[in-house]
Amino acid sequence: MSEFAVDIEYLRKKYRGGVEALAGITLQVPYGCVFGLIGPNGAGKSTMVKSLLGILRPTECRGTMLGEAIGKKAPLARVGYLPEHARFPEYLTGRQVVEYAAGLSNVARSSSRVRTEELLEKVGMSSRAHDRIGSYSKGMKQRIGLAQALVNDPVVVFLDEPTDGVDPEGRIDFKRMIAGMRDEGRTVFVNSHLLAEVEQVADRVAILTGGKIIRQGTVEELTRRGATYELKIQGSVPDQVKDWCVERKMQVAGDSITYTAENPLAMQPLIDRLRAAQVIIREMKEERFSLEDLFLSEVQRARQEAAPPALPAKKGGPS
Amino acid sequence: MRQAATVLLDSLRMLRASMLFWISIWISALVALIYASIGFTDNGISVLFGAWDINAPMLNKHSAEAEAFYLLLFTDVIARYWLGWFSLVLALISTCSIFPNFLQVGSIELALSKPISRVRLFLLKYTGGLLFVAVQTGLFCLIVFFALGFRLNEWNVTIFWAVPIITFSFSLIYCVSVFIGLVTRSTVFALLGAILFWGAILIAQWTEDTFYKMAYLMPDVGVGMDFQTGQLKEAEPDAESGLKKAYQAIHSVTQVLPKTRECTHSLKRLIKFEERDSMLTGVDLGMVLSGGDVDPQLKSAMEKYENRHSWFTIIGTSLLFELIVMGVTFGIFARRDY
Repeated sequence: MSEFAVDIEYLRKKYRGGVEALAGITLQVPYGCVFGLIGPNGAGKSTMVKSLLGILRPTECRGTMLGEAIGKKAPLARVGYLPEHARFPEYLTGRQVVEYAAGLSNVARSSSRVRTEELLEKVGMSSRAHDRIGSYSKGMKQRIGLAQALVNDPVVVFLDEPTDGVDPEGRIDFKRMIAGMRDEGRTVFVNSHLLAEVEQVADRVAILTGGKIIRQGTVEELTRRGATYELKIQGSVPDQVKDWCVERKMQVAGDSITYTAENPLAMQPLIDRLRAAQVIIREMKEERFSLEDLFLSEVQRARQEAAPPALPAKKGGPS
Repeated sequence: MRQAATVLLDSLRMLRASMLFWISIWISALVALIYASIGFTDNGISVLFGAWDINAPMLNKHSAEAEAFYLLLFTDVIARYWLGWFSLVLALISTCSIFPNFLQVGSIELALSKPISRVRLFLLKYTGGLLFVAVQTGLFCLIVFFALGFRLNEWNVTIFWAVPIITFSFSLIYCVSVFIGLVTRSTVFALLGAILFWGAILIAQWTEDTFYKMAYLMPDVGVGMDFQTGQLKEAEPDAESGLKKAYQAIHSVTQVLPKTRECTHSLKRLIKFEERDSMLTGVDLGMVLSGGDVDPQLKSAMEKYENRHSWFTIIGTSLLFELIVMGVTFGIFARRDY
């Protein structure tokens, strides 16, 4: 059996109008992790998830999900899904929505009842479970959506923009619940454009833009590109130290010196030099790359690479 | 089985949540109760369980005409006009939104992400829409069954043929509504399209019916029409060959169309009254009410007219039409990206 819950060897989707939503991607999601798929709007995040779940038909697809070929219906019995903008029939109550999902997933009636009650409790909707969906707020609908995604005790859960329209308190709850799913051994696949949230909750991340995965790895790996160190001293930087810093491409401004390095070891010679010059060091702080920094720089780079080269100016034309 | 039960239960919940469903059920029950309230006295008919007496000696409680009147009232009036028309319009209005709503973004994904095949999901959802009519007609037939039992001591289960026949008749329009709803994802277009289609096939069926009467029924009873004066005249059974040709041409065209009207009319052939059939076959409500003995030539011509279409023509060709429309609709549903 594959060590990956989702193992996409090659996935391509070209819509009838000619738009290539996924330009041949490769992606692996290990069992038991929280995987964040991030990308700008229209990057192809939802298309990818829908391709895995058979909601749309990929143009070309090789790979497995839960050990079976992508596109087969059988593994979906062990998959949960909360779509973006989930819409539940307004004539159903919250409890009925969860029971409906259980029925479609072939969960036995007896276990479905117990599981439904457990999940309604877990998502904080027990007291409103008998009310019709039409009377719920967006956040409540999302909570019911999460409960229906978990009713079949899934191995993999796909959450497409799960905190969209949810209030700050609800977002904290969602993050807690996602962490809880990981603790239960589930693989959670989160599609989101809220980078800070993904960074807080995901173990592994992939950046998708223009239908291509441009980076993937653990959050630590991706943000380990170094850090910016800022060192502040009392008074201004002495000239001999300043020259030394400029030679090493350190930025000196007034009483502060900043330097981008792999680790704090690179700052030690500077500290030695400052101490030798009897300069008092007031503080040193480390600012690591966030997922947002990485995302912005990678998306920017991808766009520049994708942009057509500038045409040379015609001779005699306007300058 | 669990999945089928889930989708059908959901359809029932959807119906229960629809105001129009309850209005339709209540009107149905009311019509059936009014029918059940009709009784016969020594002087004629009593309506609303004796609250209102109508003096009609011909339909007194001892006459055979009274029994025929009561039975034909169901097969020729209530089944044709209430079940075959008004209740179907209400059903169409209530169900035309099922597929457009189901296909909305955020809704269809939930169903398709479950381990259920698209063909099963489609058929179950489609069947769920037909429940509207089946439940309503079933309730109606139950009341009529007891009414006939208590009034005429006629405990006749063939009454329940109305459930599959009326549901099938509805499905012929509903499949068009589903097709349009699937293509356009619009409830309004689904409803308007289905009603326009229904209107068109009804015109075709009426035309066929009228031409049959002029080409065959009237000559069979020795009556023809003078098209210059518009007056009836005596005619030989083999006369009017031009009309017969015209009828054959119209019949060929209507052959491929679904026959909602003919389906409802066929109920008269399916609802059997063992001991009273000879009294009812080839007779309509008007003939009963006109009193006197029915002319055997007219009765025979009417019988021929009622049975002019084979079961294949009525059910077979309609079923074929439905299967083709359903096949195309399912093809779109199955291949589409959501």
